[in-house]
Amino acid sequence: MSIGSFLSDRLGRIVLWLVCLAAAALFLYATGTQPGVLALLLAVLLLLLSATQTADYLRERARLRELESIWESLDEKVLFTECVPPADTLYERCLFDLMRRVGQAMTGAVSDARAAQRDYRETVESWVHEIKAPITAARLVCRQVEGDTRRKLNLELAQIEAHVERALFYARAESPERDCVIRPVSLSEIVSQAVEEHRTLLMQSGIRIGTEGLDRQVYTDKKWAVFILGQLLQNAARYRGEEPVITIAARPLGERTQLTVRDNGIGIPAHELPRVFDRGFTGSNGRARGGSTGLGLYLCKKLSAFLELDLEISSEEGAGTCVTLTFPAKLTKL
Amino acid sequence: MRKIMIIEDDPAIREELELLLRNEGYAPLPVTDFGSVSEQAAREQPDLVLLDIGLPGQDGFALCAALRKAASVPVIFVTSRDSGLDEVRALSLGGDDYITKPYSVPVLLARIKAVLRRGGGAATPPDTLEAAGLRLCLTKGTLSAAGKTVELTRNELQIMACLMEHAGQIVSRADLLDALWDNQIYIDDNTLSVNMTRLRGKLEELGLPDLIRTRRGMGYQL
Repeated sequence: MSIGSFLSDRLGRIVLWLVCLAAAALFLYATGTQPGVLALLLAVLLLLLSATQTADYLRERARLRELESIWESLDEKVLFTECVPPADTLYERCLFDLMRRVGQAMTGAVSDARAAQRDYRETVESWVHEIKAPITAARLVCRQVEGDTRRKLNLELAQIEAHVERALFYARAESPERDCVIRPVSLSEIVSQAVEEHRTLLMQSGIRIGTEGLDRQVYTDKKWAVFILGQLLQNAARYRGEEPVITIAARPLGERTQLTVRDNGIGIPAHELPRVFDRGFTGSNGRARGGSTGLGLYLCKKLSAFLELDLEISSEEGAGTCVTLTFPAKLTKL
Repeated sequence: MRKIMIIEDDPAIREELELLLRNEGYAPLPVTDFGSVSEQAAREQPDLVLLDIGLPGQDGFALCAALRKAASVPVIFVTSRDSGLDEVRALSLGGDDYITKPYSVPVLLARIKAVLRRGGGAATPPDTLEAAGLRLCLTKGTLSAAGKTVELTRNELQIMACLMEHAGQIVSRADLLDALWDNQIYIDDNTLSVNMTRLRGKLEELGLPDLIRTRRGMGYQL
């Protein structure tokens, strides 16, 4: 609060005071008070007026500074009204009371929103579980169909599954701590499960997969690691070039373990690279080929952050893309 | 024949699984009355139980505990619940394996085979395969005929094993690729051709140049 703003705030009051003083002085002068006495009286009154205003200013400024510093020191800003020292004036007390009521209303709204989000997540999860039964049945029925039709149907089923899986993980990514089990998993287990889940797509894309140094253990949540790797494999298959090859290799990096997924696909234009992890970003490749949701890498990034994996991507247009996942050392969390 | 009990409440999946398992040479025992699973298991003495978790009435976890109390039958959980906690719980209750829906059929069959093998009894996989005068040693990776022996690479070994298991039948390229992918050899069609050529070269060394016939548009035949 600056002096200027304080004065302009009280301008009306001060002007009223001055007008009253002038009127009183005029009246006293007219009724014959000596000018010397009058001047003295006016000077004392003006001094009194400016003294009270200065005192007001200093008190209010100190009070505001105190409140500011409390606000700054709070981690949970919503607790502000609970932490302020008791109000000195009736007016301030009433304001605090109002603020407290606003806070309560807000807390209520936030917890309603959280509950709604939780409900939504649970609905999506149970829907996903429901839909998996008919997909499983369709897969089994598919076995009785011969040849080309079976291959085509299997590919479509794989697409449905991939979309369903993304929806499930999207719902889960909002509160990932709810089902995360960090334990030692072998990389080859993660890789073979991810390949298995996307087998139809990978095989029909004519992809050759090379693996290297996967006989290593990492500490992570297996299901999510498989999901992240699965998204990378899907991208590699979708944006493949001629004679596609995916190389999945692992190597130690100090205490940590680095897993790289390298493909020789069409690559990502340099100017789009910084945005590939953004939600809903599909890029020119995605638009050209269609069927891109802009969710895959976004989810990868989000889940990686939670699992404390470093996720990095590099790419050269026309030459391929390389994604590096760095798993944390054994005891970083839990 | 190994008996496999199917505890699954979705009728379509249950029927298809029954059909699949019968085709694969198992004796499926589908359960439709979920109230008396333990009694049925005690009566039928299955070699393996495929167990869903979301069942009407008692859930799969409770059923597994009950089954485990009665006998040491191996249990594979087959469920659409894929949370890590469920998996840990299932395995700690004595489940032998945990497969999430929608599973791919080869994976399901491979896991069934693995659990049955672990459960002991017969049907340990043979170390050597014999067909058409050839002898394939799976652990050593060698192929011999008429006193001569050649060494095979991992890829060639799996291709040869697949052909010999189906000796006389036509094996399509897609089936061969499937078999290779089952064994974590992820190759493409071209690489398969290259391996096929090398394998034929090695057969020629054994003095059997035209043993693998190409059936145009259909596949290969030993």
